[in-house]
Amino acid sequence: MKGSVIKYERDNIDTDVILPGPYLKIHDYNELAKHAMEGIDKDFHKKVKPGDFLVAGKNFGCGSSREHAPIALSYSGVKAVLALSFARIFYRNAVDGAFLLPIEIEENAYKDISEGDQLEIEISKNEIRNMTKNATYKIKPFPELIGKIIAAGGLFNYKP
Amino acid sequence: MAKTLFEKIWDSHVVKEGNGRSLLYVDRHLVHEVTSPQAFDGLRMNKRKVRRTDLTFATMDHNVPTSNRSLPILDQTSATQIKALERNCKEFGIELFDINSPNQGIVHVIGPELGITLPGTTIVCGDSHTSTHGAFGALAFGIGTSDVEHVLATQCIWMEKPKTFEIRVEGKRKNPHAITAKDIILSIIRRIGTAGGTGTIFEYRGETISELSMEQRMTICNMSIEGGARAGLVAPDEKTFDYLKGRRYVPKNYDKLVEYWRENLKTDNNARFDKSFTLHADTIAPQVSWGTNPAMTIDVTGKVPFPEEYAKGNPEEEKAATKALQYMGLKSGTLITDIELDRVFIGSCTNSRLEDLTEAAKIVKGNKVSSKIRAMIVPGSQHVKKQSEELGLDRIFKDAGFEWRESGCSMCLGMNPDILSAGERCASTSNRNFEGRQGSGGRTHLVSPVMAAAAAIRGHFVDVRELDLN
Repeated sequence: MKGSVIKYERDNIDTDVILPGPYLKIHDYNELAKHAMEGIDKDFHKKVKPGDFLVAGKNFGCGSSREHAPIALSYSGVKAVLALSFARIFYRNAVDGAFLLPIEIEENAYKDISEGDQLEIEISKNEIRNMTKNATYKIKPFPELIGKIIAAGGLFNYKP
Repeated sequence: MAKTLFEKIWDSHVVKEGNGRSLLYVDRHLVHEVTSPQAFDGLRMNKRKVRRTDLTFATMDHNVPTSNRSLPILDQTSATQIKALERNCKEFGIELFDINSPNQGIVHVIGPELGITLPGTTIVCGDSHTSTHGAFGALAFGIGTSDVEHVLATQCIWMEKPKTFEIRVEGKRKNPHAITAKDIILSIIRRIGTAGGTGTIFEYRGETISELSMEQRMTICNMSIEGGARAGLVAPDEKTFDYLKGRRYVPKNYDKLVEYWRENLKTDNNARFDKSFTLHADTIAPQVSWGTNPAMTIDVTGKVPFPEEYAKGNPEEEKAATKALQYMGLKSGTLITDIELDRVFIGSCTNSRLEDLTEAAKIVKGNKVSSKIRAMIVPGSQHVKKQSEELGLDRIFKDAGFEWRESGCSMCLGMNPDILSAGERCASTSNRNFEGRQGSGGRTHLVSPVMAAAAAIRGHFVDVRELDLN
């Protein structure tokens, strides 16, 4: 999986900035996508491209249980969020709907990766390669069941 | 083996285990209009039914206007979502407390009020503040829409077993009318941080917690999610059993259940928690948030902090504080009591119950809302509204210049007509001060109902300990 990076160097990016409350009334996922990250970056929908990765700090997705948050990111093209840590409900929502990969990265990767860097994520090797900087970072392996749910394409496609 | 309360509830609900995960049975599923439409679509698409309509209850709270209910809903997208819930509940056979129901209200207010919430049960809802119900010793947590669909279809949910986190609050508060449950929970979050409880379930314990009323315990459990925990628990006691007795949906064999709960629903003496934190009640002052997450909170006697002072050497925290102050339009070193306000909101699933309104009314009685301020009271449910009116609280608020509104989530989350305009500063009894939470560009200060009431009168924050609250 290859893509380029959009980076927000901040912790506690909450669901109210990922997808602000007024848009929770929108039923159409492609419409939702137009408002992704609007709370901190009004231009996000203009700069995001299909296949992009979002890089952020600690506790990404804290706050509300709105699945609209990972959905909006997913339908705007984001394939994975690479963060130092995730709030639990966001992480779970991302996995259950197979909307995007929530990947926990280490401090060195977070510091090293810059906006626009080209990355290749190899889940099977638990590895991210930064092609722009010619560097490799380890990622925390997905717990077994989460890996299986993601591979199946979400909770409803997963057969235990 | 000695077990914590959480472990006892968990163990009694495991249907199946494997892959390091458990499938849990869900006793109560609460549904509202915002996080459910796609879940019902999913059921329809796959020709599935709702497995336990008798354990599923719905209401509308997030979108509903809190103005005159006899008027049509002007916002078309809200009206569509509300109609969709009506249609879905009818089609799938779910009991709905709709906009005209005497039982309508914020889902986390009506659950306990109607006796749907019971000790020892598992409760889920597509809303992160489901943690509120933990005040009754229920394992209650928020879920996303995929999980809502899964629970509707199967009445089960898969989970990784969380760790346990004991939060002890010891001793007596110096002035319980001024130092409220809101101040206790904000003091906790301020110290453990917004991710302090990630992957854990809180159990609130200690003398101070035992002394709290059920409604105050709900305020505390409500904000567990703001400390990163999906759920928070208080062991049920006689207050819990008395509160629920006679409520509409409690089972017929209630007294028998109480015997079982009294005997079983507590943490064993030598049970171990994975983490522990202790706070002494006599150190707690009224709290005011100054930043853009609930951990950015300070005593009312304090000053808006300097970012480096707040960050204590952590460069990320310093950057976050700088950004927060910029968003909030605050200058470091300003006395909290010098911060002037434009709006006051008393409501939300955190603080909109009868006791909250009663306490706020004590401050308001005989006073007038500052001419610079627009202030509103939004009761958490139709029952709270009715009870308040029977006590004459509505008169006290209206005479002072407060708006007295219909029940709903209102200005907590900026998705109904009650919102802040950009730059407006609000003393709010809600739970989140995130950027844009109450409306794009709006500035939220989280406080208790008495602090909000006093701020409405004076036009700026006041240390409520200086007022006569008895």
